[in-house]
Amino acid sequence: MISLQNIEKVYRTTNIETLALNNISLDIAKGEFLSVMGPSGCGKSTLLNIMGLLDAPSRGQIKISDQTTDNLNDKQLAKFRNQKLGFIFQSYHLINDLQVLDNVELPLLYRDTTAKERRQLAAEALEKVGLSNRMKHFPTQLSGGQRQRVAIARAIVGRPEIILADEPTGNLDSAMGNEIMEILLQLNQNDGTTIVMVTHDEHMAQKTHRLVRLFDGSQVL
Amino acid sequence: MLKHLFKLIWNKKKQNSLLIVEILLSFMVMFAVFAFAVNSYQNYVKPIGIKYEHVWVINYNNTLKTQNSDSLTMFYEGLLRNIKAMPQVVDAGFSSTNVPFSSAHMSGGITVNGKRITYVNQFNVDDNYLNTLGATMLEGRWYNKQDGISKEKVTVINNTLKEKAFGKGSAVGKYFNDYDNKFKIKVIGVVNDIKFDGDYQTVGLSQYNRFDTSAYHWLQRILVKVQPNADAAFESRLYKFMANQMKNSNIEIEHLPNKLVAYNKFTLVPLIILSIVAAFLIINVALGIFGVLWYNINKRRGEIGLRRAIGASGSSVSSQLVSEALILATFSLIIGTFFAVQFPLLNVFDLSAGVYLTAIGFALIFIYFIVLVCSLYPGKQAAAIYPAVALHEE
Ligand SMILES: Nc1ncnc2c1ncn2[C@@H]1O[C@H](COP(=O)(O)OP(=O)(O)OP(=O)(O)O)[C@@H](O)[C@H]1O
Ligand SMILES: [Mg+2]
Repeated sequence: MISLQNIEKVYRTTNIETLALNNISLDIAKGEFLSVMGPSGCGKSTLLNIMGLLDAPSRGQIKISDQTTDNLNDKQLAKFRNQKLGFIFQSYHLINDLQVLDNVELPLLYRDTTAKERRQLAAEALEKVGLSNRMKHFPTQLSGGQRQRVAIARAIVGRPEIILADEPTGNLDSAMGNEIMEILLQLNQNDGTTIVMVTHDEHMAQKTHRLVRLFDGSQVL
Repeated sequence: MLKHLFKLIWNKKKQNSLLIVEILLSFMVMFAVFAFAVNSYQNYVKPIGIKYEHVWVINYNNTLKTQNSDSLTMFYEGLLRNIKAMPQVVDAGFSSTNVPFSSAHMSGGITVNGKRITYVNQFNVDDNYLNTLGATMLEGRWYNKQDGISKEKVTVINNTLKEKAFGKGSAVGKYFNDYDNKFKIKVIGVVNDIKFDGDYQTVGLSQYNRFDTSAYHWLQRILVKVQPNADAAFESRLYKFMANQMKNSNIEIEHLPNKLVAYNKFTLVPLIILSIVAAFLIINVALGIFGVLWYNINKRRGEIGLRRAIGASGSSVSSQLVSEALILATFSLIIGTFFAVQFPLLNVFDLSAGVYLTAIGFALIFIYFIVLVCSLYPGKQAAAIYPAVALHEE
């Protein structure tokens, strides 16, 4: 599903050069639930950004669904992200000026859909995360766990094959974190969604199919 | 997408209200500027209505000792005869002080079919006035000697007054009454519109009345149409002649072309002031829009990053921000247009509806243009934000 070949990422600032990823090669199968662990600053987010086509590697190649991606332009990349990928972030990234339902609809706005279809798909996604009764709320009126569930609904509303989650439970207490984890596991099992999740929590990682450990930009496991 | 942006703006109406008010205000000011300018332009392209190039105005004041009307009449008629006899003079005639391009105005009213018409400029003139100024009759005739002895009250009006009082058809032979609706006045002629207040002012309603000899007590102007070759030497001869005839009188000779230039300047002052105020306001609004959008982009980096992640391209992010600004402007402009159309509906300043509508059109285009220009650059900046970076800040 996702195939990384000899990925290298170098960040250059005026006087420092950081090797954030060092020759990473990784194959993730369709339907796999992979977790990525490692100390802070080891390149986990960078890896996820590169998988998510939000950032280009300095060297190496990424294939998603057997499609090479290095020759896509900005518009094509955007379309690709919209159709194939769903993102979940530690800090949710909800738009506070929009109601929950409108937040969930967001990815569909960048597709050919009618308002009615959007409404229906968003409502279904919210039902999956158990927030049907919060559709008209604004994000600021929700708890952290609820916000992350909205973000998950937004990630799955477009039915992507892949979900990339960067510390989705990082801001939550363990009970709420478990709830979120439960939802992700359900998605993986029932819908066959491929999931890559960055986490600091060994317990969470143990529930996934495979664990990848990074250290200073290199894969150590 | 449009509905989505509407929602976004609507939910942020508190943050946006200041900008909405600011755009609304500048629209109203621009509306005023354009209404003023369009009206001035429309007036400017109309013919001035007289041949003023070689017309002089003699200012004098009546210092004659005699109070006897007959001797006054004899004196002034003789004076005018002598002036007309000068070889450089084409024609000359007496006029009330409201000669063309002077700030003097005399206003009265008439009653047409029981309805009062006010703000009718009143001119007291003689038989030579039409020819001296080089105006033209559109129908009927100008005054002559016969009118001095006829019993019936007769008058000449300008085209604007004719249309206001009688519509498009002919007016000669028709009657209206004086302001107090006491006596009948017969229209004997319609003269073309004359822009007495210079190139940029609207032609008003005008009525020209032949003065009777008692007016010599207070008349103070003689209009003189001279030959093109009349020079400064002749002007000083004319001056000396007047000074000799009328001892102790303050004599001054003015030229209509100079008066026109001076009067035009005077009437353009408000437009210039308004334009300066408008320019400051527009700069203020432009900076405001620019600043708010700039600020928004920095405040909304997370949102922009997110939109990029879920499927927005760089160009769609920048067009979103530009669209938001235009939608915001549209809110203001809808409110502004609502206020602006009240002017023609309520006929506030007696300008034609066409002037107001053109001004609304210009003001709309202008404001949209400003908003567009001010949002393009911030929009472009937003497109350049790296989503990976924006998403990991906070
Ligand atoms: N935009 C950037 N410019 C320069 N250096 C960067 C940039 N983004 C990341 N880095 C550097 O790359 C390295 C990897 O960063 P990354 O964010 O991937 O770490 P991480 O494993 O996600 O850490 P954490 O667990 O704290 O989120 C770090 O040393 C970081 O300083
Ligand atoms: Mg990270």
